Amino acid sequence: MAGPLLETKLHLPSRRPGLVTRTRLSARLNSEVALVLVSAPAGFGKTTLLTEWLAADPRPVAWVSLDAGDNDPVVFWAYLVAALNRATGLALDATTALATLLNALQSLSTKVVLVLDDFHVIESPEVQRDLAFLVEHLPTPVQLVIATRSDPALPLTRMRVRRQLAEIRADDLRFSVAEAAEYLGEVMGLTLTPADAAALDGRTEGWIAALQLAALSMHGRDDLTGFIAEFSGDDRYIVDYLLEEVLQRQSAAVQTFLLHTSILGRLTGPLCDAVTGQTGGGARLRELERANLFLVALDDHRQWYRYHHLFADVLRARLLDEQPERMPELHARASEWFEQNGEPHEAIRHALAGGQFERAADLIELGVPALRALRQEITLLHWLNLLPGDLLAARPSLSAFFAGALLITGQTEGVEARLQDAERWRGHITAAAQEIDVDLLSGPGPGNTRRAVAVTAPGPDPDPDRRSLLSKIAIYRAAQAWALGDVPATIRFCGQALDLVGDADIAERGAASGMLGLAHWTRGDLSTAYDWWAASVQHLRQAGHLSDVAGCSLALGDIRLTQGRLSDAQAAYQRGLAAATALDGSALRGAADMRVGLADVCRERDDLDAAREHLRAGRELGESSGLPQNPYRWRVAMARIQWADGEVDAALHSLDDAERVYVSDFFPNVRPVSAVRARVWAQSGRLNEALAWARERGLHSDDELSYVHEYEHVTLARVLLAEYAAGPGRSGGRAERAERYGSGGPDRNKWHERMLVEATGLLARLLQAAEMGERTGTVIEILVVQALAEQLRGNKAAALQPLGRALALAEAEGYVRIFIEEGAPMLALLRAAATQGVAQRYVRRLLASADGGCSIPTQSGLIEPLSRRELDVLRLLATDLTGPAIARELVVSLNTIRTHIKNIYAKLGVASRRAAVRRAAELGLLARR
Amino acid sequence: MPAHPIGFYVSNTTETKETTVTEIGREPHWFEIRVRGHLGPRWVAWFDELSLAPQSDGTTLIRGLIHDQAALHGVLQKLRDTGLALVSVTQIDEQ
Repeated sequence: MAGPLLETKLHLPSRRPGLVTRTRLSARLNSEVALVLVSAPAGFGKTTLLTEWLAADPRPVAWVSLDAGDNDPVVFWAYLVAALNRATGLALDATTALATLLNALQSLSTKVVLVLDDFHVIESPEVQRDLAFLVEHLPTPVQLVIATRSDPALPLTRMRVRRQLAEIRADDLRFSVAEAAEYLGEVMGLTLTPADAAALDGRTEGWIAALQLAALSMHGRDDLTGFIAEFSGDDRYIVDYLLEEVLQRQSAAVQTFLLHTSILGRLTGPLCDAVTGQTGGGARLRELERANLFLVALDDHRQWYRYHHLFADVLRARLLDEQPERMPELHARASEWFEQNGEPHEAIRHALAGGQFERAADLIELGVPALRALRQEITLLHWLNLLPGDLLAARPSLSAFFAGALLITGQTEGVEARLQDAERWRGHITAAAQEIDVDLLSGPGPGNTRRAVAVTAPGPDPDPDRRSLLSKIAIYRAAQAWALGDVPATIRFCGQALDLVGDADIAERGAASGMLGLAHWTRGDLSTAYDWWAASVQHLRQAGHLSDVAGCSLALGDIRLTQGRLSDAQAAYQRGLAAATALDGSALRGAADMRVGLADVCRERDDLDAAREHLRAGRELGESSGLPQNPYRWRVAMARIQWADGEVDAALHSLDDAERVYVSDFFPNVRPVSAVRARVWAQSGRLNEALAWARERGLHSDDELSYVHEYEHVTLARVLLAEYAAGPGRSGGRAERAERYGSGGPDRNKWHERMLVEATGLLARLLQAAEMGERTGTVIEILVVQALAEQLRGNKAAALQPLGRALALAEAEGYVRIFIEEGAPMLALLRAAATQGVAQRYVRRLLASADGGCSIPTQSGLIEPLSRRELDVLRLLATDLTGPAIARELVVSLNTIRTHIKNIYAKLGVASRRAAVRRAAELGLLARR
Repeated sequence: MPAHPIGFYVSNTTETKETTVTEIGREPHWFEIRVRGHLGPRWVAWFDELSLAPQSDGTTLIRGLIHDQAALHGVLQKLRDTGLALVSVTQIDEQ
């Protein structure tokens, strides 16, 4: 894509001399509306109109001339972003999320115009959807202009009503008689009677393309009136008629030149020479442009041109009619020239158009690595679909890539057939499925009745190319299994791939190892998952893919957290952060995610200031240095800190936000935001919402357990216990309770008791599963909840048993909040544990954190006690820091501080800062903790 | 770029693309398309051997067996690109 043609796609068309000024149109071109739409058939002067309008406009212009290749969304956005970068001086990255791009554009200080010319070539629903999104969220500094032959799939009616649209349509663009007369007379230098001009305008219906052709065919004629009369009475397709007239007046050489080069989308001198077999192509083109014969310059140096689309089509139709036998040869010559001159996509296009399928297949195969690297699978699929089936089947490499491209674009249909084509070449298809076992694999693979066609050979294939192909096929089969949800098969095929992959192919090793990590993770085999992710990281480090290292570190950290190994998780994030930090200190992609991971560890250890600092640092790095999940993870981490600060509403708000921006990005969703939020609800007394969540998710205490739903089930247990704790008389949640327990109205106590029984039963099963899977982090949590359950039963002594175990498991890693976040009931249990001599030092530390942390100095005298955060603000109010300084100190916005201050004043019953400080001193709230 | 080389092999979201194949779309049908203006015999090759019959009212009837809906839209697009006004598109009985 970076060849010489890039320039031509983004070139702002140059103004042409000798145009008719059409003020009535300029008046309609409004620079204030969001969208300017110029919609009319070919040859109505759309591009010329826009060029003239924008030439007089002070705003920078980002211009993209679209063609069929832009139906690949990756290609489309690459050009769009390139054009915007040129116009604005920004350095946007086309691979970032659209929402992020739009944010960046929103902050532009100058306006910019984005023009999409020939938009009708876009048929891809995905590109159209993206564009609709762009239009709906158009950044204020940006005006979008679309020139097209068909109305785009946008909500035009709605935009008209809202006055967000300025439209120029065919009837607007038609030349009036006066304008036609001016064009023919002054611009083209013809002497016509008014009657003749009117007749021409009538016959052409003001179609400028036809007018231009008419003018060209009337030059040097004596009897203009006669000529006009003749073709006025003719019904023939006017462009066809007039073009014929014009062509006939050219030399034979020019006629041939025009016909033969009409197959080219873009023309330059040497290319024309190659296609026509002549010389002097460059000069010929300049001549044609001077003679106003159909050429449009595509750059400032007069190197590249294209024909007006309308004329090109008519020329091509003539060529097809008159010399069909020459077309393959012409395309072949074009293909060869493009290949030699660094434009592989054009070379492929022409090879396909000329029916040179073998050659096209060769070129495509060569181009696959680049296409894959640029993620242009849509383009690849488009070409592969144009190849004859039997040719594809005979090319195992292409068949394999075909399968891969399908999988990448989320399709499963046709994958199996392509993979079998790829394997069939080997000629070693065995009737029974055979599996190549790799000792490193754990996990059974029984019960898989799919006929996995494994390519077998007596020993490893010595040919490195063949091994490479086989390893790719294995990886694609693994991907296919993954897409179909067959985890055991994924594992098996990844193993095959690793066996076959060459040592030099680090990225493939990394991918296969990562896929194994993913597969085992989904099954809850966390140790195995960790090992495979670790292997993947090593390969990626070797390959120098440092932001991928960060991505893996995320997985490693997450797994260690679940395994209850906080320090190891922290180390993983720190290593990832180091990898994602360049030597000059700038951050690569993934650095922000590492910060969020570190924030989480700090939060668990109750170092909330450090946690906040990590989040702040992460946010400062900006959206583009985060991996796809970062917006979601950041908000969840923030929510948990807000929850620790006692700010329930803020926490819920953050969680809602997190849910909105969630993407999975290959991580199993083992801690759904909805479950995190349900816990907040349960613990803050919103039991109806919590129960509603459980019903929505279809969770029941007798569900079969699986790792993927473990967090949700623990949440369910918590919700049930919270219900129980609220007592049988709780009035709300009738619908949920009725659904779970039947509408046995009078027997409230019975279902009340049942909740406790269900919860404890569920917890016991969960504990067993978590222990078996060595998910110590979850084990600790379950034990804590079990202790609370026993306490609810009134069985304090029995509660100390699971609590003791939890403390033993948690002490070395420095867990704090998992205990103290449970509030007063847990604190009571901890005190009891201390008296009994259980983990005394640890418990004392926990209680101290609770006292200094979420505990409030006894706030007698206040109807509503201040939250911990409010206390922090209050203490700073007692200093001489200004509001903004306080905000900076606490790492929040000034608005947040204002809200806190408002609440503080309300709770203290005061109206000024001085009064607040005085009252606080009276109540003893200012003592340092 | 994907966050991990895995992204080069698996899609994050596999939607089983529903191939919208309707009964009408499947079989070839005879169609008659009318445009305003005469298209001469020179254009037959361009329109993939459909028959072009200029009418006395200044329109052209384009007629032929069209493979499926996608092919029909292809023809309509070619017509759009000539700038000729489209008057009607009708499915007709076999000729």
